[in-house]
Amino acid sequence: MSESNLQTDRDFEKRTKQIFDSSLGEIDAATRSRLTQARHRALQELAPSSAGRAFWNRPFAPAGALAAAVLVAILVLSQREPAIEPGLQAAAPADLEILLGEEELEMLEELEFYAWLEAQPEFASGDAEPSSAGDGVG
Amino acid sequence: MTLNAYHDIELTRSQGAALMGLALGMTDREFPTDLAREDTLDSGIQIEAFLRDVETRAFRIASVSVRDRDEALDIVQDAMISLVRRYARRPSEEWRPLFYRILQNRIRDSQRRRTVRSRVMSFFGGIDGDEYDPVAEAPAPQADNPLDQLVNADAMRALEQALFVLPARQREAFTMRNFEGLDVAQTAIAMGCTQGSVKTHYSRAVHRLRELLEEHGEEYRQ
Repeated sequence: MSESNLQTDRDFEKRTKQIFDSSLGEIDAATRSRLTQARHRALQELAPSSAGRAFWNRPFAPAGALAAAVLVAILVLSQREPAIEPGLQAAAPADLEILLGEEELEMLEELEFYAWLEAQPEFASGDAEPSSAGDGVG
Repeated sequence: MTLNAYHDIELTRSQGAALMGLALGMTDREFPTDLAREDTLDSGIQIEAFLRDVETRAFRIASVSVRDRDEALDIVQDAMISLVRRYARRPSEEWRPLFYRILQNRIRDSQRRRTVRSRVMSFFGGIDGDEYDPVAEAPAPQADNPLDQLVNADAMRALEQALFVLPARQREAFTMRNFEGLDVAQTAIAMGCTQGSVKTHYSRAVHRLRELLEEHGEEYRQ
Protein backbone atom coordinates (compact mmCIF):
# COMPACT_ATOMS: atom_id res chain seq x y z
CA MET A 1 0.00 0.00 0.00
CA SER A 2 1.35 3.43 -0.94
CA GLU A 3 2.16 6.11 1.59
CA SER A 4 -0.66 8.33 0.35
CA ASN A 5 -3.18 5.51 0.74
CA LEU A 6 -2.00 4.89 4.27
CA GLN A 7 -2.38 8.57 5.04
CA THR A 8 -5.87 8.54 3.52
CA ASP A 9 -6.81 5.60 5.72
CA ARG A 10 -5.43 7.33 8.79
CA ASP A 11 -7.40 10.50 8.02
CA PHE A 12 -10.52 8.48 7.48
CA GLU A 13 -10.03 6.66 10.78
CA LYS A 14 -9.48 9.93 12.57
CA ARG A 15 -12.69 11.34 11.13
CA THR A 16 -14.82 8.38 12.01
CA LYS A 17 -13.46 8.48 15.56
CA GLN A 18 -14.27 12.19 15.84
CA ILE A 19 -17.78 11.65 14.54
CA PHE A 20 -18.33 8.78 16.93
CA ASP A 21 -17.03 10.77 19.91
CA SER A 22 -19.26 13.74 19.07
CA SER A 23 -22.25 11.43 18.82
CA LEU A 24 -21.74 10.39 22.45
CA GLY A 25 -22.69 13.88 23.56
CA GLU A 26 -26.02 13.51 21.79
CA ILE A 27 -27.21 10.57 23.84
CA ASP A 28 -30.47 11.65 25.43
CA ALA A 29 -31.06 11.96 29.16
CA ALA A 30 -33.41 8.99 29.33
CA THR A 31 -30.80 6.69 27.82
CA ARG A 32 -28.11 8.05 30.14
CA SER A 33 -30.40 7.42 33.06
CA ARG A 34 -30.97 3.82 31.92
CA LEU A 35 -27.21 3.36 31.64
CA THR A 36 -26.72 4.67 35.17
CA GLN A 37 -29.37 2.27 36.45
CA ALA A 38 -27.65 -0.55 34.59
CA ARG A 39 -24.34 0.35 36.23
CA HIS A 40 -25.90 0.40 39.70
CA ARG A 41 -27.59 -2.91 39.01
CA ALA A 42 -24.23 -4.38 38.01
CA LEU A 43 -22.52 -3.02 41.13
CA GLN A 44 -25.07 -4.78 43.31
CA GLU A 45 -23.27 -7.96 42.31
CA LEU A 46 -20.46 -6.85 44.63
CA ALA A 47 -22.74 -6.71 47.65
CA PRO A 48 -22.14 -9.51 50.19
CA SER A 49 -25.78 -10.60 50.02
CA SER A 50 -25.54 -11.28 46.29
CA ALA A 51 -22.19 -12.99 46.76
CA GLY A 52 -23.92 -15.15 49.33
CA ARG A 53 -26.72 -15.94 46.91
CA ALA A 54 -24.28 -16.91 44.21
CA PHE A 55 -22.42 -19.10 46.69
CA TRP A 56 -25.54 -20.95 47.76
CA ASN A 57 -26.99 -21.12 44.27
CA ARG A 58 -24.11 -22.71 42.49
CA PRO A 59 -21.11 -24.20 44.24
CA PHE A 60 -23.11 -25.85 47.00
CA ALA A 61 -24.73 -28.43 44.80
CA PRO A 62 -21.40 -30.12 44.02
CA ALA A 63 -20.20 -29.50 47.58
CA GLY A 64 -23.27 -31.25 48.96
CA ALA A 65 -22.77 -34.12 46.57
CA LEU A 66 -19.11 -34.33 47.62
CA ALA A 67 -20.02 -34.39 51.31
CA ALA A 68 -22.54 -37.16 50.65
CA ALA A 69 -19.98 -39.09 48.62
CA VAL A 70 -17.42 -38.84 51.44
CA LEU A 71 -19.94 -40.10 53.97
CA VAL A 72 -20.95 -42.95 51.71
CA ALA A 73 -17.29 -43.86 51.27
CA ILE A 74 -16.81 -43.86 55.06
CA LEU A 75 -19.85 -46.09 55.48
CA VAL A 76 -18.73 -48.50 52.78
CA LEU A 77 -15.21 -48.71 54.20
CA SER A 78 -16.51 -49.15 57.71
CA GLN A 79 -18.48 -52.21 56.56
CA ARG A 80 -15.23 -53.96 55.71
CA GLU A 81 -14.01 -53.76 59.28
CA PRO A 82 -14.58 -57.04 61.13
CA ALA A 83 -15.58 -55.57 64.49
CA ILE A 84 -18.73 -53.83 63.37
CA GLU A 85 -21.86 -54.41 65.37
CA PRO A 86 -24.41 -56.45 63.43
CA GLY A 87 -27.10 -53.81 63.92
CA LEU A 88 -24.99 -51.10 62.41
CA GLN A 89 -24.05 -53.26 59.44
CA ALA A 90 -27.67 -54.02 58.80
CA ALA A 91 -28.49 -50.35 58.92
CA ALA A 92 -25.90 -49.36 56.29
CA PRO A 93 -28.09 -49.82 53.15
CA ALA A 94 -30.84 -47.81 54.83
CA ASP A 95 -28.33 -45.10 55.74
CA LEU A 96 -27.16 -45.06 52.15
CA GLU A 97 -30.70 -44.54 50.97
CA ILE A 98 -31.13 -41.63 53.34
CA LEU A 99 -27.82 -40.09 52.34
CA LEU A 100 -28.67 -40.27 48.68
CA GLY A 101 -32.00 -38.58 49.29
CA GLU A 102 -32.55 -34.88 48.77
CA GLU A 103 -32.71 -34.13 52.48
CA GLU A 104 -29.23 -35.41 53.35
CA LEU A 105 -27.84 -32.03 54.33
CA GLU A 106 -30.80 -31.21 56.54
CA MET A 107 -30.46 -34.55 58.26
CA LEU A 108 -26.77 -33.97 58.90
CA GLU A 109 -27.58 -30.70 60.59
CA GLU A 110 -29.85 -32.54 63.03
CA LEU A 111 -27.70 -35.55 63.81
CA GLU A 112 -28.04 -35.00 67.55
CA PHE A 113 -31.80 -35.18 67.25
CA TYR A 114 -31.62 -38.43 65.31
CA ALA A 115 -29.18 -39.90 67.86
CA TRP A 116 -31.59 -38.96 70.64
CA LEU A 117 -34.50 -40.40 68.66
CA GLU A 118 -32.69 -43.69 68.19
CA ALA A 119 -31.94 -43.85 71.90
CA GLN A 120 -35.66 -43.75 72.77
CA PRO A 121 -36.82 -47.16 74.06
CA GLU A 122 -39.85 -47.52 71.77
CA PHE A 123 -37.74 -46.66 68.72
CA ALA A 124 -34.75 -48.80 69.71
CA SER A 125 -36.90 -51.88 70.44
CA GLY A 126 -38.09 -51.80 66.83
CA ASP A 127 -41.57 -53.02 67.71
CA ALA A 128 -43.36 -49.68 67.71
CA GLU A 129 -46.23 -50.00 65.31
CA PRO A 130 -46.74 -47.19 62.82
CA SER A 131 -50.36 -46.82 63.75
CA SER A 132 -49.68 -46.44 67.47
CA ALA A 133 -46.75 -44.05 66.80
CA GLY A 134 -49.12 -41.71 65.06
CA ASP A 135 -51.81 -41.97 67.67
CA GLY A 136 -50.33 -39.67 70.21
CA VAL A 137 -53.13 -37.22 69.73
CA GLY A 138 -56.69 -38.32 70.42
CA MET B 1 -4.07 0.65 46.90
CA THR B 2 -3.95 3.48 44.42
CA LEU B 3 -6.52 4.21 41.78
CA ASN B 4 -3.85 4.54 39.11
CA ALA B 5 -6.00 3.14 36.33
CA TYR B 6 -8.74 5.70 36.88
CA HIS B 7 -6.90 8.57 38.48
CA ASP B 8 -9.45 11.15 37.36
CA ILE B 9 -11.59 10.23 40.36
CA GLU B 10 -11.26 12.93 42.93
CA LEU B 11 -12.67 11.21 45.97
CA THR B 12 -11.06 10.56 49.30
CA ARG B 13 -11.15 6.99 50.52
CA SER B 14 -13.88 7.71 53.03
CA GLN B 15 -16.00 9.49 50.41
CA GLY B 16 -15.47 6.59 48.05
CA ALA B 17 -16.41 4.11 50.74
CA ALA B 18 -19.57 6.01 51.57
CA LEU B 19 -20.55 6.23 47.89
CA MET B 20 -19.88 2.56 47.29
CA GLY B 21 -21.88 1.60 50.34
CA LEU B 22 -24.79 3.66 49.05
CA ALA B 23 -24.44 2.31 45.52
CA LEU B 24 -24.48 -1.22 46.84
CA GLY B 25 -27.42 -0.52 49.12
CA MET B 26 -25.54 -1.76 52.17
CA THR B 27 -25.81 -0.89 55.80
CA ASP B 28 -22.68 -0.79 57.94
CA ARG B 29 -23.63 -4.11 59.48
CA GLU B 30 -23.88 -5.83 56.10
CA PHE B 31 -20.60 -4.51 54.88
CA PRO B 32 -17.57 -6.77 55.31
CA THR B 33 -14.91 -5.69 57.75
CA ASP B 34 -11.17 -5.02 57.71
CA LEU B 35 -9.26 -6.30 54.70
CA ALA B 36 -12.28 -7.79 52.97
CA ARG B 37 -14.02 -4.44 53.26
CA GLU B 38 -10.97 -2.60 51.93
CA ASP B 39 -10.68 -4.95 48.97
CA THR B 40 -14.36 -4.75 48.15
CA LEU B 41 -14.26 -0.97 48.33
CA ASP B 42 -11.17 -0.70 46.16
CA SER B 43 -12.45 -3.00 43.47
CA GLY B 44 -15.93 -1.49 43.77
CA ILE B 45 -14.69 2.08 43.30
CA GLN B 46 -12.47 1.09 40.42
CA ILE B 47 -15.01 -0.98 38.60
CA GLU B 48 -17.66 1.71 39.07
CA ALA B 49 -15.29 4.21 37.43
CA PHE B 50 -14.54 1.75 34.65
CA LEU B 51 -18.22 1.11 33.91
CA ARG B 52 -18.97 4.82 33.97
CA ASP B 53 -16.12 5.35 31.52
CA VAL B 54 -17.23 2.73 28.99
CA GLU B 55 -21.01 2.76 29.26
CA THR B 56 -21.88 5.35 26.61
CA ARG B 57 -19.42 4.02 24.06
CA ALA B 58 -20.55 0.48 24.74
CA PHE B 59 -24.15 1.56 24.26
CA ARG B 60 -23.36 3.25 20.93
CA ILE B 61 -21.39 0.22 19.74
CA ALA B 62 -24.24 -2.10 20.69
CA SER B 63 -26.71 0.26 19.00
CA VAL B 64 -24.72 0.20 15.78
CA SER B 65 -24.87 -3.59 15.76
CA VAL B 66 -28.43 -4.29 16.85
CA ARG B 67 -30.08 -1.01 15.80
CA ASP B 68 -32.52 -1.08 18.67
CA ARG B 69 -32.11 1.23 21.67
CA ASP B 70 -33.78 -1.00 24.26
CA GLU B 71 -32.01 -4.10 23.03
CA ALA B 72 -28.69 -2.22 23.14
CA LEU B 73 -29.37 -1.08 26.71
CA ASP B 74 -30.19 -4.63 27.78
CA ILE B 75 -27.01 -5.89 26.16
CA VAL B 76 -24.88 -3.28 27.95
CA GLN B 77 -26.52 -4.07 31.29
CA ASP B 78 -25.96 -7.80 30.83
CA ALA B 79 -22.33 -7.21 29.95
CA MET B 80 -21.82 -4.99 33.01
CA ILE B 81 -23.41 -7.51 35.35
CA SER B 82 -21.43 -10.35 33.88
CA LEU B 83 -18.16 -8.44 34.16
CA VAL B 84 -18.75 -7.51 37.80
CA ARG B 85 -19.98 -10.97 38.74
CA ARG B 86 -17.17 -12.88 37.07
CA TYR B 87 -14.19 -10.60 36.73
CA ALA B 88 -14.34 -7.88 39.39
CA ARG B 89 -11.38 -9.45 41.19
CA ARG B 90 -9.22 -9.57 38.06
CA PRO B 91 -6.63 -6.82 37.49
CA SER B 92 -8.35 -3.68 36.23
CA GLU B 93 -6.28 -3.56 33.04
CA GLU B 94 -7.99 -6.79 31.96
CA TRP B 95 -11.49 -5.40 32.34
CA ARG B 96 -11.72 -3.55 29.05
CA PRO B 97 -11.02 -6.47 26.68
CA LEU B 98 -13.07 -8.81 28.89
CA PHE B 99 -15.99 -6.39 28.96
CA TYR B 100 -15.96 -6.01 25.19
CA ARG B 101 -15.70 -9.74 24.72
CA ILE B 102 -18.83 -10.20 26.82
CA LEU B 103 -20.52 -7.33 24.99
CA GLN B 104 -19.74 -8.79 21.57
CA ASN B 105 -21.02 -12.21 22.67
CA ARG B 106 -24.27 -10.63 23.81
CA ILE B 107 -24.55 -8.75 20.52
CA ARG B 108 -24.05 -11.97 18.56
CA ASP B 109 -26.68 -13.75 20.67
CA SER B 110 -29.10 -10.93 19.97
CA GLN B 111 -28.39 -11.05 16.24
CA ARG B 112 -28.90 -14.82 16.18
CA ARG B 113 -32.24 -14.46 17.91
CA ARG B 114 -33.21 -11.78 15.43
CA THR B 115 -32.19 -13.95 12.47
CA VAL B 116 -34.30 -16.83 13.76
CA ARG B 117 -37.25 -14.47 14.31
CA SER B 118 -36.96 -13.06 10.80
CA ARG B 119 -36.77 -16.57 9.32
CA VAL B 120 -39.93 -17.50 11.15
CA MET B 121 -41.59 -14.29 9.99
CA SER B 122 -40.56 -14.83 6.38
CA PHE B 123 -41.81 -18.43 6.57
CA PHE B 124 -45.22 -17.05 7.42
CA GLY B 125 -44.94 -14.45 4.65
CA GLY B 126 -44.50 -11.47 6.95
CA ILE B 127 -41.50 -9.88 5.20
CA ASP B 128 -41.52 -8.01 1.95
CA GLY B 129 -39.10 -9.32 -0.71
CA ASP B 130 -37.67 -5.88 -1.61
CA GLU B 131 -34.14 -5.42 -0.31
CA TYR B 132 -33.55 -2.39 1.85
CA ASP B 133 -30.30 -0.53 1.30
CA PRO B 134 -29.62 1.45 4.49
CA VAL B 135 -26.66 3.36 3.06
CA ALA B 136 -28.62 4.47 0.02
CA GLU B 137 -31.52 5.50 2.23
CA ALA B 138 -29.40 7.58 4.60
CA PRO B 139 -29.68 11.33 4.13
CA ALA B 140 -26.57 12.89 2.63
CA PRO B 141 -24.61 15.21 4.88
CA GLN B 142 -24.79 18.91 4.04
CA ALA B 143 -21.93 19.77 1.69
CA ASP B 144 -21.60 23.46 2.42
CA ASN B 145 -20.33 23.37 6.01
CA PRO B 146 -17.63 20.74 6.46
CA LEU B 147 -16.69 21.62 10.04
CA ASP B 148 -20.26 21.23 11.23
CA GLN B 149 -20.65 18.07 9.20
CA LEU B 150 -17.83 16.47 11.12
CA VAL B 151 -19.86 16.44 14.27
CA ASN B 152 -23.43 16.38 13.05
CA ALA B 153 -25.88 13.62 13.55
CA ASP B 154 -26.26 12.91 9.84
CA ALA B 155 -22.62 11.92 9.56
CA MET B 156 -22.96 9.51 12.44
CA ARG B 157 -26.17 8.12 11.04
CA ALA B 158 -24.45 7.46 7.71
CA LEU B 159 -21.52 5.84 9.49
CA GLU B 160 -23.86 3.67 11.54
CA GLN B 161 -25.70 2.55 8.47
CA ALA B 162 -22.50 1.77 6.65
CA LEU B 163 -21.26 -0.21 9.64
CA PHE B 164 -24.49 -2.14 9.70
CA VAL B 165 -23.90 -3.54 6.23
CA LEU B 166 -20.39 -4.77 7.07
CA PRO B 167 -19.82 -8.42 7.97
CA ALA B 168 -20.11 -8.85 11.74
CA ARG B 169 -16.42 -9.56 12.37
CA GLN B 170 -15.31 -6.50 10.39
CA ARG B 171 -17.78 -4.37 12.32
CA GLU B 172 -16.51 -5.76 15.63
CA ALA B 173 -12.90 -5.08 14.72
CA PHE B 174 -13.68 -1.56 13.55
CA THR B 175 -15.84 -0.53 16.51
CA MET B 176 -13.41 -1.84 19.07
CA ARG B 177 -10.24 -0.55 17.43
CA ASN B 178 -11.57 2.76 16.20
CA PHE B 179 -14.42 3.74 18.54
CA GLU B 180 -13.20 2.17 21.74
CA GLY B 181 -9.49 2.55 21.03
CA LEU B 182 -8.48 -1.00 21.96
CA ASP B 183 -5.09 -2.01 20.65
CA VAL B 184 -4.66 -5.07 18.43
CA ALA B 185 -3.88 -7.42 21.33
CA GLN B 186 -6.88 -6.25 23.37
CA THR B 187 -9.15 -6.50 20.34
CA ALA B 188 -7.93 -10.04 19.73
CA ILE B 189 -8.91 -10.96 23.31
CA ALA B 190 -12.28 -9.26 22.90
CA MET B 191 -12.97 -10.97 19.59
CA GLY B 192 -11.51 -14.31 20.59
CA CYS B 193 -9.23 -14.54 17.55
CA THR B 194 -5.60 -13.97 16.60
CA GLN B 195 -4.02 -10.56 16.24
CA GLY B 196 -3.47 -11.29 12.55
CA SER B 197 -7.21 -11.81 12.08
CA VAL B 198 -7.93 -8.54 13.86
CA LYS B 199 -5.61 -6.68 11.46
CA THR B 200 -7.24 -8.32 8.45
CA HIS B 201 -10.81 -7.63 9.62
CA TYR B 202 -9.97 -4.08 10.55
CA SER B 203 -8.20 -3.28 7.29
CA ARG B 204 -11.09 -4.69 5.25
CA ALA B 205 -13.56 -2.76 7.37
CA VAL B 206 -11.74 0.52 6.77
CA HIS B 207 -11.65 0.01 3.01
CA ARG B 208 -15.25 -1.08 2.77
CA LEU B 209 -16.42 1.82 4.91
CA ARG B 210 -14.46 4.25 2.80
CA GLU B 211 -16.12 2.90 -0.33
CA LEU B 212 -19.58 3.07 1.21
CA LEU B 213 -19.16 6.53 2.64
CA GLU B 214 -17.38 8.05 -0.33
CA GLU B 215 -20.41 7.13 -2.37
CA HIS B 216 -22.53 8.75 0.24
CA GLY B 217 -21.14 12.27 0.35
CA GLU B 218 -18.31 14.72 0.72
CA GLU B 219 -18.05 14.23 4.42
CA TYR B 220 -15.81 11.17 4.27
CA ARG B 221 -14.04 11.91 0.96
CA GLN B 222 -10.36 12.68 1.08
